[in-house]
Amino acid sequence: MSTFHNLQELRHSASLANKVFIQRDYSEGTTCRFQTKFPSELESRIERTLFEDTVKTLNNYYAEAEKIGGQSYLEGCLACATAYLIFLCMETRYEKVLKKIAKYIQEQNEKVYAPRGLLVTDPIDRGMRVIEISIYEDRGSSGSSSGSSSVSGSTAR
Amino acid sequence: MPFGGADSLKPSAFIPVCTAACLLVGSTSLFFVFTCPWLAVNISPAVPPCCAILFLFVLANFTMATFMDAGVLPMANEDEDKDDEFRAPLYKNVDVKGVQVRMKWCASCHFYRPPRCSHCSVCDHCVEDFDHHCPWVNNCIGRRNYRYFFLFLLSLTFHMIGVFSFGLIYVLHHMDELWKLHCTVTLVVISISGLFLLPVLGLTGFHFYLVSRGRTTNEQVTGKFQGGVNPFTRGCCNNLEYLVCSPISPKYTARPRNKAVIHVQPPFLRPEIDRQRQMKVRDNGTQRQDLQNKLSDIKQMNTPPPLPPKPDHSPPKSQLAVVDGTTSEQQGSDKGPDVRSELQKSPRRSSQPAGLPVQTNTISTSMQLNSLTLNSRSLTLKHGNRHGSKSQLPAMRGDGMGSNPPPGIISSSSLLANQSSSVSYDNLINPSDPPFLPQRGAPPVGYHPHFLAMGMDGSVLQRPPPRGYNKTSQGLRDGLCDLASQGLTPQKTAPVRYDNFSKTIMASIHERREVEERDRMLRLQARSQALYDNTRPPGSRGPTPPAYGSREFLMSTGILGYGMRTSPLSSSSTSSLTRGPKTSSSPLQSSSSSSLQSKGRSSSPAYCPPDRQTQPLPSSTSTLPRLASSSTPAYASYATAKRSSLPYSSEGKDAVALGALK
Repeated sequence: MSTFHNLQELRHSASLANKVFIQRDYSEGTTCRFQTKFPSELESRIERTLFEDTVKTLNNYYAEAEKIGGQSYLEGCLACATAYLIFLCMETRYEKVLKKIAKYIQEQNEKVYAPRGLLVTDPIDRGMRVIEISIYEDRGSSGSSSGSSSVSGSTAR
Repeated sequence: MPFGGADSLKPSAFIPVCTAACLLVGSTSLFFVFTCPWLAVNISPAVPPCCAILFLFVLANFTMATFMDAGVLPMANEDEDKDDEFRAPLYKNVDVKGVQVRMKWCASCHFYRPPRCSHCSVCDHCVEDFDHHCPWVNNCIGRRNYRYFFLFLLSLTFHMIGVFSFGLIYVLHHMDELWKLHCTVTLVVISISGLFLLPVLGLTGFHFYLVSRGRTTNEQVTGKFQGGVNPFTRGCCNNLEYLVCSPISPKYTARPRNKAVIHVQPPFLRPEIDRQRQMKVRDNGTQRQDLQNKLSDIKQMNTPPPLPPKPDHSPPKSQLAVVDGTTSEQQGSDKGPDVRSELQKSPRRSSQPAGLPVQTNTISTSMQLNSLTLNSRSLTLKHGNRHGSKSQLPAMRGDGMGSNPPPGIISSSSLLANQSSSVSYDNLINPSDPPFLPQRGAPPVGYHPHFLAMGMDGSVLQRPPPRGYNKTSQGLRDGLCDLASQGLTPQKTAPVRYDNFSKTIMASIHERREVEERDRMLRLQARSQALYDNTRPPGSRGPTPPAYGSREFLMSTGILGYGMRTSPLSSSSTSSLTRGPKTSSSPLQSSSSSSLQSKGRSSSPAYCPPDRQTQPLPSSTSTLPRLASSSTPAYASYATAKRSSLPYSSEGKDAVALGALK
C-alpha cells in the first residue's frame, strides 16, 4: 500500500479532481522543452507567473542536461576507452541533472503547488512527454474515504 | 520462453542474434589462435594487440546495442489518454523549426507519438527517435543506442577488413601448405569475413549517409523527407558531432521511484482574481451583468417547448436555430462565444471553464456524432473494466444512426445547460460516472436527452424521438442539469452528492442505467456491423484500434464483424489516413524480405522506398480482409499484429530490416 503513495499522501479531505498535461514544445526540434502556455484549468488555482517560472526552470534544466559540449564529449571518450564499463560505476551527466530536477520539483511541490491543491509529476515518469499536474479539490467535511483510493489508482503505475 | 505480445521474446527471435554472436566470436577466436602468432612474428608484433583492441571495441558496442534500452517510451496513464479518446484526430500537427510534422496517435501506447518516435511492432512499444528493429542484435535501435549500433557497424567493418586482409596475407604466404590445419582454418575465416564484409560495408555506408543527412532508417525507408526539408538535421558535421558527443539520454522505463511524500491538504490557496470574484458573488448580484444574463437564460429555459408527439414542435428560438443539422455548426459557433463569455464571468465552484469544452462539443457534435458512436463503442469495450458505467455509452449508437434532430437537440440543450449550470446547478454534479466523461465532455452530452427521455416518461425508449422533447418542462430542466453537470465537471471522482438531487432525477438515473445495460448487451451484436458503415469525418481517429482489433473486441463481436465489412471506410476518412498502413514495421519488413532474397544487396532496399508505398499491408493477421485503402483494418491489423504472435512469426523472422546482412 505504501507504494501507492510514493509521490503524495492524501488526507481524506482532498481528492483528485482533474489532471492537466503540459505538452512538449517541439518547435526547436526533439530537444526537451515544455510549453509555457498557461492552461486554463489552472487559472483559478495558481498564479500564472509561478507556473511559468516552474516550466521555464525545468526547460533550462533540460537544456543544460542535453547540451553538447566539453563535458559530454569527455564522457563519451571515457566511455569508449573503458569499453563502456564506466557506466557501471558512474552515472551520466543527464542522470545527475535529472536528480537536480527531481529535487526541484519536490521543492516546488512542497512550497508552491501543494498549498494550492496541485501536484506536479516529474516528466521523466511520463517518458518526458508531458508534465502532469494533478488538481485536487477540497471536499470539505464530506469525510468520504474514496479520495485516497482515486489517487492510488492513478499512481499505481 | 513465454509467447507474449512482444515478439522479441520468442525463441526464434534469438536465432539471428545468436548466429551473429557465434560467427563474430568464433571466427575472431580462430583468427587469433591460428593466424595471429605467425603475423606477430612475420609482420609486426603490434598486429595482434591492435586487432584485439578493435575486437574488444566491437564486442562492447555489440553488447551495448543488444542490451541497451533504445529509448522506450512507457505507455501513457489512463488519465492522460482520456482526453483523446473520443473525438481526437489520428494526427496532430506540430511545428518543428518551421516545418509541419505529423504526430500520429499510437493506439497501443495511448499517446501521440513525439516526432521521430515510432512504434516497434516486434517489441510492442514506442521508441524515441526510432531507427529500426535490428534482428541481429534482437533489439530496437533508437535514440539511446543508435551511437553504439553505428560504432558497432564501423568497428566491425574495420575488424572484418583487418581479419580478411591479414588472413589473406597469411594464406598467400602459405600457398604450398594450403591443406594444413592452420591454413585451412584461416581460409575458412577469410571466407566468412569476406562473405559478410560487403553487406556490412554497405550497411555502414548507408548509415553514414543517414547520419550525414540527419535521418533515421525509418524516415529514409518511408520516404518522409525525400521531397521536403528535414527539420531534424543540424548539418553534416553537427549531425556527426551529435551522434558521437551528445549526452546519453536517460531510460524512461524501470526507473527508481521517487519516495517523496507530499501532503496535499486543504485549505488551498487561491490566486487573487478568484477571491475577488467570489466576493462579488456574495454581494447583491442583481447589478451584475452576467447574473442578469443568467437570469434571462433561466427564464428561457423555463419555457421549453411543449412535448407533442408530432415532429414539428416549437422549441425555443435558440434551439430551433441549432436543430438544423447542416447549419448547426455555424450557429453553434455563434452561440459559443456567448456561452463562453458568460461562463468566464461567472464564479465557478469547479475549476474547469466548461463553456469552452461544451462549445467545442456543440460545434463538432453534429459532424462527429458518428465518430462519437464509434469512439464510444471503443470506450465501452476498452474501458469496460476501468470505468463504472458502460451502460450509457452504447446508447449513443442508437442516436447517431443518422438523424439530424438529435444532434441538434443535443447541442442546443447542452448550450442551455451550460448557461444555467453556473448559477444554480453546479451542485447537481453527478460525479459517480466521471470516468467515462472526457475532459471535453463530448459523448455524454449526446447521451443525456436520450436517457432523460426514458427516465422522465418512465417508459423505455430505445432512442430519443426525432420529434424532440417529449418530456415535461420540469423534466427538461432536470435533464439539462444532468447534462450540465456531466458535461461541465467530468472529472469529479468524489462521491456522488445527493444533496440537491431530486428524487425524480435519481430514479431516472438508476432506471436508465439499468435499461441501458440491458440494451447494450442486446445491441452489441447487432450494431457492430452497422457501426462500420457509418462514414467518419476526415481526420477523425475513429475507433481506437486495439479496441477493435483487440482480443476482447474480436471475441465479443466475432470475427464475422470484421469479415463482413466488405466495403472499406469512406474515402474521406481514409484519405487522411494514408499513412495508416505504413507502420514502422511494415516497410522495413517488406524491405527486409526482399533483402533476404538478394544477399549481396543489403543497401539496395533502403534506396527503393517507393516500392514500399504501394505494397499492401503485410499479412500479419488472418482475421482481417486485406483492404488496401481502408484504415480501420490497418489499425486492427496493426493491433492484431502486435497482439497475436502466431501470424506474425513469419514476419518476425523476416524482420531483418535494413540491417539485413551485417
